[in-house]
Amino acid sequence: MHSPASQSLPRRRFLQIALGAAGLSVAAACSRAAPTTSPAATAGANAGAAAPASGSTQGSLRIALFGSREDADRRAALIPPFNKLFPNVKVEYTPIQGTDWEEFFSKVLTMKAANNAPDITFVATEGTQLFAGQGLALPLDDYIKRDQKDMAQYFSDVHPSLVEAMMYEGSLYELPIDFNAPNMYFNLSVLQAAGLEYPPADWTKDTFYDYAKKTAKKDSSGQTQVFGYQWVNRLWGSWSPWLFVNGSNLLSEERAPGGDWLWQAFYKDDKAATGRGGGWRWNAPKANDAANVEALDFMVQMLKDGVSAPIELGGGGQLQGFFSGAKLAMTPAGGFWAGGLHAAGMAPDTFDVQLFPKWKSQRHQFGTAGYVIMKDARDKDLAWEYLKYLSGVEAMTIELKGNNSTPTRRSFMTAERYAETGPKHWQVFYDTLEKNPDTAPIPAPPESNPMTTIFTKYSGLAMTQEMTPKDALDSMQKDLEALWAKRKKA
Amino acid sequence: MTTIGVAAPRQQAGPRGWLMEDSLAGMARRRALLGYVFLLPTFLGILVFSAGPVIVSLGLSFFAWNVFDPPEFLALDNYLRFFSDGRILIGFSNTAKMVSLAVIIEMVLAFALALGVQRTTRAALRYFFRSAFFLPLLTSAATISIVMAYMFHSQFGVINYYLGLLGVPRIPWLEQAQWALLSVVLVYVWHRLGFTFIVFSGGLGNLPKEVLEAADVDGATGWRRLWYIVLPMLSPSILFAAVTAIISGLQIFDEPFVMVKGGPGDATRTVVMLIYESAFKNIELGYAAAIAAMLFLVIMLVTAIQFRISKALVFYQ
Repeated sequence: MHSPASQSLPRRRFLQIALGAAGLSVAAACSRAAPTTSPAATAGANAGAAAPASGSTQGSLRIALFGSREDADRRAALIPPFNKLFPNVKVEYTPIQGTDWEEFFSKVLTMKAANNAPDITFVATEGTQLFAGQGLALPLDDYIKRDQKDMAQYFSDVHPSLVEAMMYEGSLYELPIDFNAPNMYFNLSVLQAAGLEYPPADWTKDTFYDYAKKTAKKDSSGQTQVFGYQWVNRLWGSWSPWLFVNGSNLLSEERAPGGDWLWQAFYKDDKAATGRGGGWRWNAPKANDAANVEALDFMVQMLKDGVSAPIELGGGGQLQGFFSGAKLAMTPAGGFWAGGLHAAGMAPDTFDVQLFPKWKSQRHQFGTAGYVIMKDARDKDLAWEYLKYLSGVEAMTIELKGNNSTPTRRSFMTAERYAETGPKHWQVFYDTLEKNPDTAPIPAPPESNPMTTIFTKYSGLAMTQEMTPKDALDSMQKDLEALWAKRKKA
Repeated sequence: MTTIGVAAPRQQAGPRGWLMEDSLAGMARRRALLGYVFLLPTFLGILVFSAGPVIVSLGLSFFAWNVFDPPEFLALDNYLRFFSDGRILIGFSNTAKMVSLAVIIEMVLAFALALGVQRTTRAALRYFFRSAFFLPLLTSAATISIVMAYMFHSQFGVINYYLGLLGVPRIPWLEQAQWALLSVVLVYVWHRLGFTFIVFSGGLGNLPKEVLEAADVDGATGWRRLWYIVLPMLSPSILFAAVTAIISGLQIFDEPFVMVKGGPGDATRTVVMLIYESAFKNIELGYAAAIAAMLFLVIMLVTAIQFRISKALVFYQ
């Protein structure tokens, strides 16, 4: 009997065609994955180009933003003023959420891998060297030199340490928009209950410890009800400020040469710019340095005393809840907390901020953020025009509304700005830079992402007392050395 | 008698003629083609969203690729590294512990709840419980993990608060290795329980009444009825639930990532977390693809073993 099913030739043919199509699509995917031009070939491709004529310029810009849809919607207010200058340019913000910068960068890299990179990306210190070092971002040097007159007002208003933090090997990659230095926040009601007053700027680590012990409250069963101190397990503002005030760092530091063009052009008469170079280089790891072991020992000691709460593993949301709920007296945080605590319902006079306490030094750390133009940006000249606009007074006023971060322009630091949110001693935020000239960015080399994983892993092990601080930092050092060995090999 | 001549089928040249041939064979070809046309959307969907990425990922596992530079062919280097990477053993060991714990708790709990709900006499209550147990499955694992991290907080979490009222000292749910692993498993099970519960509920509802009645008549009650009658007849559902639970458990990511970031230390770092970290933190997409390929092999192997064992233990009516 003749069965139609036995006519198998069409099925075979169909499968052959289908597999052929699959093979072609795989080949196409692979070919897309490989960049067609080297980073060097595109670097500064638009250097020296004339500024685009605003009225007739057409195009679109896609901007990746670390934040929620609400953050993107808030920034939508930035677009109409820009469209007055460039009416035919469409600007779109793409919000990307994550618990920390590392997650945001991971997602931007995923977009890059999918050949769907944005034109402009908001990047903090944690990722500046990753984007610059890996050739993802475009150096801004030629644009800045071209538009030197336009940029003079911006640089005159921004502290040179913030600008230097955005440089990599002599070139500037971002115009810093906001920054945050971990200062010490106080819940004033908890301080008051312990009979303590707002401390002076030159307070010490011992005074801090005394404050922490006095503010911690235990119930009749010995369980702590209010903690003196707590921090989030991450790179910025975790226990790493203690490394800085103890005269150390996670990595050895060096200033890269170069950058004279910028310092000469914009900071010639600024003493704070003296001795600055072409950005930071973070070299050999020194995690198990004696000063670092001492600092981590101090953290563990506070935990054992019941003075410090167990570290938070998330993005800081829990910690903010405990602080605003008067369950916590002190925590390291930056200017962004002013807006956060206000949103959490804290009145301006219920919390305050002071410089980090002095130990062997009072050297502070900070992280700053701005926008990079991606090497793959469709219209780099247009992207630069948008960056220039974002660094202006009008755009920064819109962008930094609500004190969700600290403006990099010192002219923005006014009593009026902090009247609604607090804190009373808002001057501390910029004093961290102005009065402490050795303040420096957190160590964030191009390997910042895996380095942070190693840092938080062993910090966590020490704080959960699964390892002693010395053992944890020895292991951290070993892992960091392995990571650095890979860097050398590459 | 006159013979009626049979006209030769009309022939057209080329593939069109081959397809349109006026014969039984031609008709069969046209029917087959119609079948393929109906299958095409599904086939394309699988190709684009499942098979294609799997093939590309497998290919990528033989390369070093950091997104920025063109991929570099490494042959088997990524796989050799896989076997010498100490983190891999930790990842697989954690995953195995989590899967073992999660599957046991999930199966026992889901079965007990399904049995309890089945015995509930009021239909409204049955619907209520079914909905209540299934609801967590509809929420996102990340959201649940954030909320649960608050609840499991050792100092201010509600779980320790109520345990405290019972005189239980504070448990470091998320701060000590063994507790963190258990916390993650509990949250994972709570989230997934509804699925297994529904599978068991369906299975119990479909048990043949005549067999159960015969067991009653023969005096099989309580544990004997459960052990010798209900469980063997439910074995296909148990197999399905176990296979899906293990496959899902081997891919656990959201809960350990959101609640404890794989910590403390590496205590809750799973294989999928290692894949994520290799790909998007260390930017080693080729190595991440190699780990993914090995995980795929492990899942295939475990599933094959389960089916092999099931031949002896599963009773199909």
